[in-house]
Parts: sequence; structure tokens; C-alpha cells
Amino acid sequence: MDERPIAIQLKNVSKTYALFTSERQRAKTILLGRKPAVIQRATNNFSLTIYNGESVAFFGPNGAGKSTLLKMITGVAYPTEGSIRVNGRVSALLELQAGFDGEMTGRENIFFRGEILGVPQKEIKALEKEIIDFSELGQYIDQPVRTYSSGMKARLGFAINASVKPDILIVDEALSVGDSRFSAKCQKKINEVLGNGATFLFVTHSVQQAKAFCKRGVVMHRGTVLFDGPVEDAAAFYQKMIGKK
Amino acid sequence: MRIIIEIIRDHIRYRKQILKLAKSDLVKTYKGAALGWSWSVLKPAVTIGIYYFAFAVGLRRNAPIAGYPFFLYLLCGLVPWFYMSAMFTGGAKVIRKYGYLVTKVRFPVSVIPTFASLSQLATNIFITILMLIVFLIYGQRPDIYWLQIPFYMALSFFFFTSWSLFAGLVSVVSKDFMHLVESVVMFLFWTAGIFYDVSGIKNITLRKIMMFNPVSIIVNGYRDALINKMWFWERMDWLRNYVILLGLMLILAMWAYKKLIKTIPDML
Repeated sequence: MDERPIAIQLKNVSKTYALFTSERQRAKTILLGRKPAVIQRATNNFSLTIYNGESVAFFGPNGAGKSTLLKMITGVAYPTEGSIRVNGRVSALLELQAGFDGEMTGRENIFFRGEILGVPQKEIKALEKEIIDFSELGQYIDQPVRTYSSGMKARLGFAINASVKPDILIVDEALSVGDSRFSAKCQKKINEVLGNGATFLFVTHSVQQAKAFCKRGVVMHRGTVLFDGPVEDAAAFYQKMIGKK
Repeated sequence: MRIIIEIIRDHIRYRKQILKLAKSDLVKTYKGAALGWSWSVLKPAVTIGIYYFAFAVGLRRNAPIAGYPFFLYLLCGLVPWFYMSAMFTGGAKVIRKYGYLVTKVRFPVSVIPTFASLSQLATNIFITILMLIVFLIYGQRPDIYWLQIPFYMALSFFFFTSWSLFAGLVSVVSKDFMHLVESVVMFLFWTAGIFYDVSGIKNITLRKIMMFNPVSIIVNGYRDALINKMWFWERMDWLRNYVILLGLMLILAMWAYKKLIKTIPDML
């Protein structure tokens, strides 16, 4: 399996968040370069290699560092130590907001998102109908996104991100809001994306969804890897782990 | 130096997106209001009307200045000010406003102030053209000095875009900074010589200090072009002050960028 090209490589990645007791302390510390009072570790000396075409589910209790990890891979957060190498275009659905502009309509956001990701206007135009159909928004597509429910946002967000032909598709929790029929549709879409040779990373609390969407499972706890293997084994490990507490 | 190259590279790579985002920022500002685009003219028109009333009617200061009607003199000060005022406070809020471009998608932070500033500039170009039409209505003839208007506009753009990068980053870390900016803006407005001529201040030290107000520099430029009929190279003292201020602002922006770029996503 190690013959495949590497999509993502993390080497000894640590990420710390500085916590402050007051706004004043925060401003002072950051602008004047002092040491923060409390340091919270999100990931601790974390190493992981993901190959092209893999589908990986990340399990772990709240605060395990899953979201931080995906943010760092997306490039919207920086590691404090260690290195991250990512090959290819990343399309990420981080949390529910998905980087939408609330004042713009769903349709405008499709194009806006495409521009930000650097997808040619023509390509987006060709994908427009497919995205709208997939998101099942109907007439709502021409309403401002701020009026959408979280489910609608997640659907549109997933439809856009999965359709722009990413090399790496990242979905963080967003799909937990859909019903089982939509979930099945997503699974089809993900398989389609994987079929094109893309890599898929997924964070969820739903073991069923993870098993349906992914082949490899990584269990995280306090910023480190506890288990890394086939998704069934990882799911069993995770359920045992949270069951114990 | 590495930072400057990084910022320039981001701007080149995202040049198309900058224009598109500027356009969408502009569209967004006026969308959803029944009067739409008319507000871009109505709002400044109301402000001009208020100040004109206060000075011309209230304080009876309607005497021509340098042979020019006071109204035209006032326009030269207020029209460039609209862009600067939007940039002072709006520019400082811009990274908060576009926080989702920092935390949800991979997008170069240094580009955000640039497209927001371009969007403001577009509105300003529009009302500047209207101002020139008013000059024509007052019987002024366009001459070669008018060509300096785009030059001073560019000076304003470079300074305030750098300001926006600096202030936008710092205000993410400190809300106090935001409040500080809001209180300083009023001070800069009233000491900028929008209603009077800074060069005419009698106290030499005071005048020299006031000539370091970026607002004064731009406003004076507009008056040189439209009223005093002077070239920018005849105003070396103003130009020197501008270069000093721009340099200072660039250094501050680079400092803030270097210091904050990696912590900003964690704070939004």
C-alpha cells in the first residue's frame, strides 16, 4: 500500500492554543511577544501519512484534536511545531458555516466559493445545475444564505465542495445534520469523488456513517493517535473507549 | 523581506479573485435596499449638505476662497474624505468582517484589505466624477491640472490599503484598538483642513505637525489640482510627508503581518 503517492504527511505536529484570562492580557501577550499564561495542547507530536485515494475517518471524544487537525491540513490553522505536507487542491467543509457569505444567495455563493478555490468560471457554470440539484434547495437557492437552516447550509456546502473535483475532500461533522436518504446520496457522491482518485477525510461522531463512507479509521485522544487501522476495528476500539468512561 | 515577497506573490496569484471579490463587496453593500445604488450618492450628498448648511448658512462662512465658491472648496475636501473615512474604520474591521475567508477556506489574508479597499475606491471614483461635473456646472473648465486627481487618488489608495492591513490585523487581537481608531478619526477629520487651509495656519510648528495628517495631504492635493492649479512637484514638503507616512505604515503593516498571521485564524 505504500507504493501509492502520498497525499498528506504530518510529521511530529504539535499545536497549542494560548488561553488568556482577559482581553487585556491577550493583546499584551500577542503584540508584545510575551509568554502566555496557560497553554492548551490540541495535538501533541502527531504523525500520520495518508495516501492518494484513501478514505479516512477520524474518531475521538470532544477535544481530541480532530477539528484542529483538519484545519491544519486545510491550511487555515498553523502548527506550532512539526511539518505538514499536502499535495493537491483541498476542498474543505469545516463546521457548518462552510465559508459562506450570509448576505449572498446560495447561487452567488456557488460562484463565490468557486472563485476562492480558483475554479474557472466556466467549470463552475457547468457544475451549477448539478450542485443545486444535489443540495435539494429548489427555489431557496436564490435566497440569502443567512436565511438557511443548518441542514440547508450543510447540503449546499457539501454539494459545492464535492463537485469542484478536489484532490482532497475534507468534511468535518457537517453531514450529521442530514437524514438517512441524504446520507445515502452523500455516500454515492463520496464514492464518485474517490473514484476520481481523490482522498477523503471525515470527522464524525456517528460510527455508522464513518463505516459507510470510509475504509480507514483513526482514533484520537488528547491530540495523539491511539489506533490506526481498518475502519471497523477503529470503530470498535472507539466504542469500547467511550463505553469505558 | 520574505514577507513582502509573500504578500506580493499572493496578490499576483489572486489578482482575478481580488477584482471579483471587490465587485461582490460593492454589490453586497447596496444590495437589499430598495434605493440600491442611489445610496452611494445620497449618503455623501446628505453629509455635504449638512456641512454646507452649518458653515455657509449657520456660520455665514460662504465667502469665496482663493476666488472659488466655498461650496467647491468644501467638495474638494469632503469627496476624498469619504473614501478615507470609510477606510479608517471599515478598513480596521475588514478582517473581522471577512473572518470566514480566514478560518473556513484557504485564502491569503493580505489580499482581504486590498479588495475591500478597491470596492471603496470604486464608489469614490464615482462620486469624484460627480464632483467634477459640479465643477463644470459652476463654470469651471477642465485643464491639465485635473489629471492629478487619479494620482492623488492612488496615493490615498496605497496609504489606506496599507493602513487597513495593519489595523485589520491588530483589531482582531485587540478590540480596544478599534475604539481608539474611532475616537482618533474625528480628531484627524477636524484637523485635516477640510474646511480651511492648513498652509494658512500661522503657528509654524503647529502647521508643520498638521501637515503630517494623511487626510490633509490628500485633501491638499485635490485642491492643488482643482483650485490652486499647482503640480505635485511644486509641493515637495507635502510629498515628502506622504512618503514618510507611507513608509511608516508599510513597516507597521509588515510587523503586524509577521507577528499575527499564524495566530489570527485561532482568534476569529
